[in-house]
Amino acid sequence: MRMTFHVFKKESRDILRDKRVLRMAFIMPIFLVAMMMSLFGFLTTAISKTHGQIVYVVKTKNPAEKLIVQKPFEVVEIPDVSTGRKLIREGKAHIVLSYGEMKPDGQTVIDAYVDPKEQTSQIALAMVSKLYDVHNKKKLETLLEENRLPLSSEEVYKVRQQDVSVGEQAGASDILIGILPYLIVMYAFYGGMSIAADMIAGEKEKNTLETLLISPAHRTNIVLGKFLALATVCLISSLSCFLGLVLVAAVKPPGTAEMMKGGFGVTPMAFFVTMIVLMPLVAFFASALVAISSFARNSREAQTYLTQFSFVIILPAMFSQFIGYTDMGHSQWINFIPVLNAANNIRMALMGRVDMTSLAITIGVSLVIALIALRITVKLFNKEEVLVRV
Amino acid sequence: MVRTSELKKHFKDPKTGIKKAVDGVTFEAHPGRILGLLGVNGAGKTTTLRMLSTIIKPTSGIAEVGGYDVLKEPERVRASIGFMSTSTALYGRMTPKELIEYFGGLYGLEGGHLRERIAYVREKLQLGEFEDRLCDKLSTGQKQRVNIARTILHDPPVLFFDEPTVGLDVVSSQSVMEFIEEARTNGKTVIFSTHIMSEVERLCDEIVVVHDGMAKGQGTVATLLESTGQPTLEKAFLAMVGFQSTYAGRAS
Repeated sequence: MRMTFHVFKKESRDILRDKRVLRMAFIMPIFLVAMMMSLFGFLTTAISKTHGQIVYVVKTKNPAEKLIVQKPFEVVEIPDVSTGRKLIREGKAHIVLSYGEMKPDGQTVIDAYVDPKEQTSQIALAMVSKLYDVHNKKKLETLLEENRLPLSSEEVYKVRQQDVSVGEQAGASDILIGILPYLIVMYAFYGGMSIAADMIAGEKEKNTLETLLISPAHRTNIVLGKFLALATVCLISSLSCFLGLVLVAAVKPPGTAEMMKGGFGVTPMAFFVTMIVLMPLVAFFASALVAISSFARNSREAQTYLTQFSFVIILPAMFSQFIGYTDMGHSQWINFIPVLNAANNIRMALMGRVDMTSLAITIGVSLVIALIALRITVKLFNKEEVLVRV
Repeated sequence: MVRTSELKKHFKDPKTGIKKAVDGVTFEAHPGRILGLLGVNGAGKTTTLRMLSTIIKPTSGIAEVGGYDVLKEPERVRASIGFMSTSTALYGRMTPKELIEYFGGLYGLEGGHLRERIAYVREKLQLGEFEDRLCDKLSTGQKQRVNIARTILHDPPVLFFDEPTVGLDVVSSQSVMEFIEEARTNGKTVIFSTHIMSEVERLCDEIVVVHDGMAKGQGTVATLLESTGQPTLEKAFLAMVGFQSTYAGRAS
């Protein structure tokens, strides 16, 4: 144990002096979280923005146009529909409205020309539709009143949202719940990946490994020391994402107000769950990274293997971002899928929901995989054919 | 003392089936003497030293270092040896001071004994002037001094040198050779692997000529010259390895 700690101390010092690791594993996640929060905050604000939306309107005398003019849209008149179509094709207009003649029954059909593939067009269309929906509703209410009919006739079936509080009250925002588990899991792997190739394959290449192997230290102690150092980097890198959040909460960069209107968003319970889910996960990642580095002949070969392996990690981690759109997030079987189970449990914890059974299965599964991976890694490092192949 | 008997190392080769890197090498090296392993590149010298250092395991045969069997007591073997080669690098992001402390720990040195040994190698190799600089920033000669310090820090009774002067300039090579001579004077068992004849003539008390993984001859420089009837060690070596010129002009 003393020897393992001795190797761990040396590896940790070596890692901390590597500027690439400092950038990739510690600074990058902080920067990335801050940047994503700003970006998503900016996008959310932009999507909900009505002021200054430009609406192109084919010249008309229909009074329905006045509604658009009165509202906070910027209206630009154009001579005909073909001009509007041209503007849309050129990407200069999001929406063009053409008002038909008012029918004897009072209805006016408004043709809204949009590019269905363009999201900004869809947003503009939704805003215009909402505006006329409100007007239609008012008109209907007036008619009902005039005919002495109850206003409830307007909505025979009224759906009313009733919020049921589940778990802790102080949860994170929707976007944070979507991206944070992914970033936490991703950096638990990528943080370590930045140094893994150097750790053993790099030592083979630089011929420093032999000096280690001819020391009386047992090979198992050496590899465990390296594993512990790498696992520490993986864990710190992953937790740096939280540091990014703290930074955003403290500095409040532009656009992030929307994202943090409910406060910091990460409760002590969510942080605790993240920590206990991360521990076995980083053990698995660090073992796998050390095993790959042991197997590779040199850093370059190690990088190639690591990049390929990263896809195995990134896919389930990415899926965790979209799991909220399905029922799978609540299924027990998801807790048996490595990586995805950890991300999903972190996601649930951020939502303020902690299910002890899910948590226990996730930790158990990750722990078993980590132990298997560590055993393979130790075996590999003790294998002469693997270690001295050049 | 180092002893090998019919030491073999065969590797699996996907193309040729089995590659016999070392195929039955027998020799003995004694305290206070330098045994030279002389051979061309790929002759099997480094593989022999790797087996003696327990980095790789012999396929068959016996290898003992300092009285310990390399297969049965590898940790004790490793505690008894110092290994140096020009290709052995240092950790670039560590200072010589940190590196030596690190290896001291790996060799089980601690407390006062470790401080005493560090002070000795520091003084002996004059590391003080650059001991706090990162190894990446050191000159080749300075790196070599750190390498020597690492090799002798735990005061091993057996020293292995695998082509320790390759790539070094005259001055640095001279320092390494002086260090090896001093090790002999101090009663260390030294095995020196090289393909440079002048170094063998200067340093070695006994020579084992290794070629194609086998020992082709063994003895002092004088006995090798006598047995081959050649005037120089170089010619004696070529005769022992069965050298035939591939230069067309000479052959005709």
